[in-house]
Formats: sequence, C-alpha cells, structure tokens
Amino acid sequence: MKSTSPQTRLAALALSCTTVALMCAANTPGDTKISPRPETLVYPPLNFTPPAATQYRTTLSDGTTLFMLPSHEFPLINLSISCMGGRNLDPANLAGLASMTTGMMRLGGTTTVSANEVDEKLDFMATNMSVRSQEWVSSASIDCLASNFDASLAILIDTLKNPGFDETKFKIARADALEGLKQRNDDAGSISAREWSYLCLGNDHFESRQPTGASLEAITVADMRTMAARIYHPGNMIISVTGDFDPKTLSAVVEKALAGWAKGAANSAPVGPTHTIAPGVYYVQKAIPQGKVIIGLESIQRDNPDFYAYTMMNEILGGGGFSSRIMGRVRSDEGLAYSAGSSFRAGIFYPGVFRAGYESKSPTVALALKLIIEEFNKMRDQPVTAAELDIAKTSAIETFPSVFASKGAMLSVFVADEMTKRPAGYWDNYRAKISAVTADDIQRVAQKYLVPGKMAILIVGNWADISKGDLQGRANMTLFGPATELPMRDPITLEPLSNGSSSTAVAPVASGG
Amino acid sequence: MKTNHPPLLALGLTLITSAAVNAQQLTPEVFTLDNGMKFILVPRTDEPNTISAGWLAKVGSVNERPGITGISHFFEHMMFKGTNTIGTLDPKKDADFRTAQKDLRNAMNQETWTTQYQRFFAGEIDDPWNAVNDTPKLATLRTELKTLMDSQQGRVNSEAISQLRKELGALDNASQARAVESQIKDLESKQKAIGSIIKDEFDKIYTKGGGNRMNAFTSHDWTFYFINVPSNKFELWCWMESDRLNDSVFREFFSERDVVHEERRLRTESTPTGIFQEQFDAMFWVSCGYAWPVIGWTSDLNSYSMEEAQKYWNIYYRPNNLVGIIVGDFKPAEVKAAIESYFSRLTPGSSTPPPVVTLESKQMAEQRMNAQGECQPQVEVRYHTVPFQHADSYALDMLAQILNGRTGRLYKALVEGREIASSAASQHDSRNYAGAFSFSAETKGDANPGQLEEVWYEQLKQLQDAPVSDLELQKVKNQAAADSFRGLQANFRLMIQLAYCEALGGWEEINENPKKLQAVTAADIQRVAKKYFDPSNRSVATYVRKASAESGGAAIADDADIAALPAPMQARVRQMAAQLLKETDAAALREGMAGLTAQAEQMPPQMRPMVDFMLKKMQERIAQLDSKGSAK
Repeated sequence: MKSTSPQTRLAALALSCTTVALMCAANTPGDTKISPRPETLVYPPLNFTPPAATQYRTTLSDGTTLFMLPSHEFPLINLSISCMGGRNLDPANLAGLASMTTGMMRLGGTTTVSANEVDEKLDFMATNMSVRSQEWVSSASIDCLASNFDASLAILIDTLKNPGFDETKFKIARADALEGLKQRNDDAGSISAREWSYLCLGNDHFESRQPTGASLEAITVADMRTMAARIYHPGNMIISVTGDFDPKTLSAVVEKALAGWAKGAANSAPVGPTHTIAPGVYYVQKAIPQGKVIIGLESIQRDNPDFYAYTMMNEILGGGGFSSRIMGRVRSDEGLAYSAGSSFRAGIFYPGVFRAGYESKSPTVALALKLIIEEFNKMRDQPVTAAELDIAKTSAIETFPSVFASKGAMLSVFVADEMTKRPAGYWDNYRAKISAVTADDIQRVAQKYLVPGKMAILIVGNWADISKGDLQGRANMTLFGPATELPMRDPITLEPLSNGSSSTAVAPVASGG
Repeated sequence: MKTNHPPLLALGLTLITSAAVNAQQLTPEVFTLDNGMKFILVPRTDEPNTISAGWLAKVGSVNERPGITGISHFFEHMMFKGTNTIGTLDPKKDADFRTAQKDLRNAMNQETWTTQYQRFFAGEIDDPWNAVNDTPKLATLRTELKTLMDSQQGRVNSEAISQLRKELGALDNASQARAVESQIKDLESKQKAIGSIIKDEFDKIYTKGGGNRMNAFTSHDWTFYFINVPSNKFELWCWMESDRLNDSVFREFFSERDVVHEERRLRTESTPTGIFQEQFDAMFWVSCGYAWPVIGWTSDLNSYSMEEAQKYWNIYYRPNNLVGIIVGDFKPAEVKAAIESYFSRLTPGSSTPPPVVTLESKQMAEQRMNAQGECQPQVEVRYHTVPFQHADSYALDMLAQILNGRTGRLYKALVEGREIASSAASQHDSRNYAGAFSFSAETKGDANPGQLEEVWYEQLKQLQDAPVSDLELQKVKNQAAADSFRGLQANFRLMIQLAYCEALGGWEEINENPKKLQAVTAADIQRVAKKYFDPSNRSVATYVRKASAESGGAAIADDADIAALPAPMQARVRQMAAQLLKETDAAALREGMAGLTAQAEQMPPQMRPMVDFMLKKMQERIAQLDSKGSAK
C-alpha cells in the first residue's frame, strides 16, 4: 500500500477521554475491585498534537530539503533520499528499466570503486545500503553505525552520482531477474495481482506494465545511466535523517557530501490511466484447492471531500478486521475464509482502486461472493448502525498518534507530504473531519461510489469446482452473470497462452522487445 | 570467482574493527505474581503515546501428540472468541449451546472414526471427513449441529429471511407487503431470542479502544498474543487479557474449525511448495514433536475434542506457564500495579506442564525427497544440529552468516561464480528441544538442483578444511553487533524478541547472545562444520518444475491420455510432450509427424499407444502454432 493513507487504519487522540480520569493502575494491589465490564473503565487523557514538519525541516544551500530527527537511544544513523519518478519513467518497450537501474546502482559499484569493493566495505561496516524504485518514487538509503556514517554516506553519494553499472554484475542481475519472471504463474497471488492490474488500469499503464524477457534483454547500460541521472540529483530529492547525531553538525556533513552535484529539474507527477474497468466476472484457471477472489472498482483521490466518509465506509464494510462486516459474515459467521476484507487506495494524482478480497475452498467461492455483494448492497441501501460508526470513528481517532509513533514513521509522513504537496492542515484537521462523518454521509458515499455496474470480479482457481457452487446449493457462479475466462500468460512474454477457451477480453500485453 | 578476500588495507578498513561490540544491555523490570505469572517490563520513551503488550504461553505444537496435532494453534483462534462476560448475551444459554454442540460433534466423530474410516480403509470412499460421503446418520448429525451453531449465532432462518426480503422487494400490493414484513420481523425477533452470541465483541472493544495490530501466532515451541494500545489504555489491556485468561469458554469451537481448514488451504495447500515443505519436515524430524505441522494434520484438525482442549488449557494456559511482556511509553510502577490488580485473579494450575520427553533420534542415513511442483527448481539440504543456547549454536549461527549476504560465500560461489543459482542462503534454526541447519538455493538458467547441491558440498568441504578468514569473521561480528541494536529499535519488535528468548531459554539471552556471538572463533566455526555436516545426518529435498495444465506445459501432467499409458512410459512421454510445447516451427513438426508415422510401422505393438499420443500432441501443437500465426 503506497501513496495514501496509513491514516485509514491508524489514527487519534483520546477524544472520549479528555474527560476525567484516575488511573486505577495507581491503586495498590488487591485494593481494586475489577470493573464488571471494560466499557466502564476511565482513562487518563492522552493529549496529542501531530508534529509539525517545519519544526524538523531545513534546506541546504542548493535548496534541497533536509529533515532531521535525532534519537540517541542507539549508536545508529539512518539517512534516506527520496526522489520523484520510478516505474512511471520506464519507456513502454523497456518495462523494468527503473527497477533494474536502481537494483544495478546498488549492485554495480561506482565509476571509481569496483562493485566488489563497495560490497565488501559496506558489509564490513555493517551498513545496509539500499537503492530502490517503486511506482513513481525512488529512494536510496543507508542504515549504519553512527561511527561509520561519514564513510557510508560517501559510498551512497558516490553510488548515486557516479554509478558504475559493472557489466558482469549486470549480466548476473538480468539472469536473476529472468528467473523471477519464470515464477510468475506459480502462486495464485501473483497471477491475481497481475490480472487485476490489467483489469483496472489496462495493459499499457506504468502501474500494470510488467517486465518481459524481451524488455529485460533490451535494457542497456546507457539506458540505465540516463534513468539514474534523471532520478537522482539535487532538485529532485528530499533527504531525511534519524538516529544518533547532532543536527547542528549533520547538515554541514550532508551539505559537504552533496557539494558539486549539479542540480536538475524535478520530475513531474505520474499520469493516470486512460482505461476504465470493464465490469464483469473474470477468471483464470489454476488447479488449487482455494479460489482467490478480488471484487473492486475505481475509488477516489485523496483531496476528494468525500475522503473521510469513504474511509469510514471502508472500515465498516471490510477494512476494520473482525469489527467489519465482510470479516464478520464470511469468516466469523460462515467460516468460508481465513482472511477476508476490503481496502482502498485514495490516489494522489489520479483515482485509486477500492477492492474486497478473500480466499475460499472452491465450492464456497460463490457463496462468499454472494455474501460480500449483499454487504456492498447493504452499504448503499441502509445507513450503518450507530455502534458501527462509533467503533470506526473512535478507532481512527484513538490510533491517530501511532501514525507518528516512531521517528522513522514521522519522517515518512514529512517526506511524502512534501513530495506530493499535501495541503497544510491535513493532519491537524484529520480527527475533526473523521469525527464529523455521519451515517448519512457513508450511505451517500456508498451510493455514489460503490456502483454495482462498475465492478469487476476476478477469480483465480479451479473453475470447474468453483462454478458449481456449494453442496447445499446456497450459491453458484451463475448468480453473477456470464464469466469470461482470462488465459494464463506465458510467464516470460506475458502473451496469452492459447489453451484458455475464450480470450476475447484480453489483448496481448504491450510489451517491449 | 575466487572466494578469498581483498586484504584489509586495500579496503581502507583497518580502523573499523569491532566498533559495536559493546552491545546494549537491556535492564527490564521483571517480577512474578504469587500465582506464578511472570512479567517483563521495558519502558521506552522513543516511541511516545503507545505501548506494545503481549503474553506468551510456553506451549506449541511440540507439546502435542498424534491425534491432537494443531490444537495449540487452535487456541490462538479460540482465545478471541470471548468469555462469560465478553461475546455473549446470555452466558447460561451460551453454555447450554456449547454442551449440546459438543455432544453432537463427539457423536459425529465417533461415527466418522468407526464407520467412515472403515469405508475409507475398504476403498469405498475417498475421504472419511468430506460431507459428500456422509452416512445418513452423519448427515443428520451434521444438520443438527449446523442448526445449533446458527441458532447460537442468532442466524437461524437467515436464508428464509433473505428470501422473504427478496419477495418483499417484488411486491406492489401494500397489504401483502405488510404481511411479509411482519413475517420477517417475527423471524428476526425469534433469531434474537434464540441466539446467545455477540459476534467478535472482543475485537470490537479493542478496536474502539484504539488497539491495533491485535493478533497472535503459534510456533513449534510457543504461542504469543499481542496488541499495541495507546499509552493511556494499558488498563484496558489488563482487563481484556486477564478476563480471557481467567474465563475462556471455547465459544464457536466447532464452527471456527472451518476457518482453520481455510487457513491450512491458504498457507499450505495453495502455495507452490507448502505441501512439500510440510512433508519434508515430517521426514526430517525422526522422532520428536517437530515432525508434525503447527497447523495440524487435517484428520486431527477435525478430531480434537472440547474435552481435550479443556485439558490442554488447564495444563498450559495457567499463570505458571505464562509470561507477560510490556514495551513502550509507561511508568513501570503504574503498570506493575495494574498488572497486580488484574492478573492476580488467575488461579494457578493444579499441575505443572509435563516435560517433553521424546528426544530427536540420531539420524543414521541420508534421507531424500524429490518433488515436482509449480515452483522454481530448487534444493534444500538440512542437518540436525543443536537446540537454543547450546554452546555450539553460536558458532553455527555465525557459520550461516559467513555463507549469507552478497559478500557471503554462497552468493559468490553460486549466484556469481558458477552462475547456476538465482538465490542461495543458509539458516540455523535452534528450537527448544533440537535444531536444524539448512542450505537452500534456487536454480538459474538450465542448472538443475543437483548442481546446486554439489556446490554446497564443496563449500562445506572448504569450511571443514580451513578456518574462515579474519576478515570474514570480523565482518559477520560487526553485522551481528549492529543488528543487535537494530533489533531493539522498535517497541513491537523488541517485545517479540523478548518473548522469543523467554520462550526458548530466558529473556536474558537478548543481552547474552551478542556477547556469545562476538566470542566465536574461526576454530569454533571449523569445528562445528566438521561435527554436524556428516552425509548420514542430512536430508535433501529437490524440487523440479512440473509443467501445469494452465501454464501451457500442461495438458501434460494431468492428461488423461497419459494416465492411460502404461506406467513406465508416462515419464518419458511427459518429457517429450514438454519438449513439444517449446517447438515453434510448425513445418518442422509436420516433418516430425511424418517421420514418426513411418517409424511407427516398425515399432512393437506395445509402443503404439505412445506413438499415437505423440502424434496427437504434435497435431495439437501444429494447430496451436497455426492459429497463433494467423491471429497476428
């Protein structure tokens, strides 16, 4: 779960507790009569104000943002550099380029220090260095003993400025990546994730596009050099540091390490898909005892005023674990699944996806699906109960401080907010906005966004057993309309394999090579 | 690729020696209540406003026996189902439901263990537990049990109600609609009147209280229940946990079993190698209780009874077998007082947990398992070693680290060097009563698992023949020291680590372990390399990729045509068919078909089915290729 909201699950001040409280705990043992119910306990107030990023923010002379949060508990320092741009920068025929580039920056040494020497130095110092790219951000970090900070930082910056892209290491990395491709159909989860992203985003959006054997073969060192320079440079980076250091001297150390590194332009925001979800039931045949199911549709963006009501809707419907409806009905009542629930990502730059999912033995896939769709409908047809809303809201508010619990967590929030230009005041107002959500809001939002005609259902499993339904005849797959078989894909080329009976809905993947 | 290392000087590392040896010393507050329950408190201010709290039961699957395997893990499910206070509208009525269900289920089990098992042994049915094979008596019992469970949950007639709702939607006659509505109301009030459960109330109270990450896990040796609570809500934790330890009632004991079956399907049966790993464990452990899976064998999962569970509870879930662990933002005096107030109510057990007496037998000969699965070809070689805190365990841990990582020997030899592995790692796993060291690697390119295995034996020989270099040893010591700090950085992780040490030996190990690792010498490592890696002490699992029906290779493994062939031919035919699917030249295939047809004339008649099968497959492949070509 990337871009949005850790806040969907985590949030809050003890609103209900700002009242009075004596801590029973302070009583002497044996003195306390245990309350017959936990609801009658009273707690001391927990006053929490979210930390302000500005308090920890400074800028280097070239304008680069630096967040510093010292902590002297252990002799460790963790420095992280975050950059705009990741997989979204891959050319269509070179899917996997950003990922290979960052992987090779970590593996391939620098122009003056050999790959082996970099590895030996880092390992000997017990420094963990990572260089990684995700959908539209990339990062680079060191996690080291404070005594090795300067030496580790020097290696990191040399790596980012002057990556070596050692040819031998590249050959090995590419061969290893190819082995990874071969395993793409082994686990139902990876098939499901791939096909779901095609259904939601189409085959040619950067989030759904996958490397193929051909695209990996096509990547050259020159391509990686261009990509590395595009991502890692002052002007496109935010630096954050936590651990055992003195902020007064640290910023000078970082300043010095970056000296002479030419500043470039920041990468622009990623672009959303043009594809819209074609509603319907889809399945991929795989001979496993459980069907893996996803039901979902487009969600919203995070600056949508409905975000808070949407968040509460998700909590009550399926986001809130055992306290939510889907888990209650599918697992707790009927024992049809081990894990069942819903989640959503409110997109930052374009709408995300709302999805519910579960795994159930083949004969009860349809029954669980029926129950979940009933719950979707109920969200639209009836207001949620006061008790449900109370649990969801109080939980969001009470867990709010945990968003900022550790220094590392605080830094992640500060960096992400600055990078995505989150409007000021979001965290200050978060609890009040959650508090203001009503049952009517949730029903309105459910009606507006959980539109049955826009949903896609994807099942990976043994279709012959799944389609028949359960022994008692409570549900079978004909309840949900015609189903389209999606062919299994060749794990290397991602071309549909021809043994799928009908593959009309799926075009071959636009891949490189 | 050479395995020797650049000299220290060349790397400019002379000054960086054991920079971090002075590992952190944790000084928790530790105390034991009169009833025997021990607590470990670690106040930390670096993560404000939150407390990680949990308790450990020193019981795991190793304490089970055949017939009740999986019961330790089942407690982990049962413990969230409430007490006589939490989770019920009417404790008396709920208890009656539980008793009635228990009697029915015991009757079902008796019928299954006798009639159904006999039918299974006689080959009449394929699965004695599957409802499709129910005898009339069993079917009746099953229906009665289901009705009881639905009634307890206040869900009896729920199908009828949803049917009526559907009818109601279609009605436009007002008086008819009123009649249906009142029918629905009537049924719903009956549901409520009959039911005795408040579903998942335990979770809802914690969720509303700001608890997060509430969960539990079970391993071979221990079980742990945990949550993060806001720092002002510690008393809620005391209330909830002492209540469920005081008064757990095993609610939904029978319905929850379906969830565990789904968990087993998810974790073991639907993963590429899960079922094989389970079998490998069963083969590897000769006599001790690590041989069965934590989640349990399917037949046991169906069989363990409420009485067994109660017995287990009375032995292993009494305070003298439990340890609470609290890490986070709190004042120890306040937390200690709250603990005393709440947990003192737990009654001590009447017996101490019995010792685990069955020792692992010495393995006398190599064991081998060759699996075919939908997975990357791979190998695991596993050896019996020593339990937690054994004097040799530290050298074995360091040996594993010498092998691991990008500058470790395995990566250099297998992933780089020979370029036959895409990944390779070793691991030393010391448990309470025994230990195991394993090497595992996945292939790259055309390499096969046998090659990986060979290189492992070469690596092992090097470790036995010569001491590891000073540089290698110092490197892994530096890493161990840095990691010992890293492991303490977060409340939650620190809590889990304390629990792990306490479960297997004593929380003090968290302070002792870094020192003991620093004390390991190159000679120690060479000595353990010689001592524990005898061929007769190893078990080897190799995995090769089975072409599945779906992945194109298909038709092959499950093809009825192949099954119809004489057994000795099957493997060869599968291989040829797999080859066939790689062929992309239709013209070449046509030529091949013509050749084979001609040859067939001279072949002995018993070969005919094989030839026919191949001709058929070649024809299919040609058709496939043709259609692909025209589609483009």
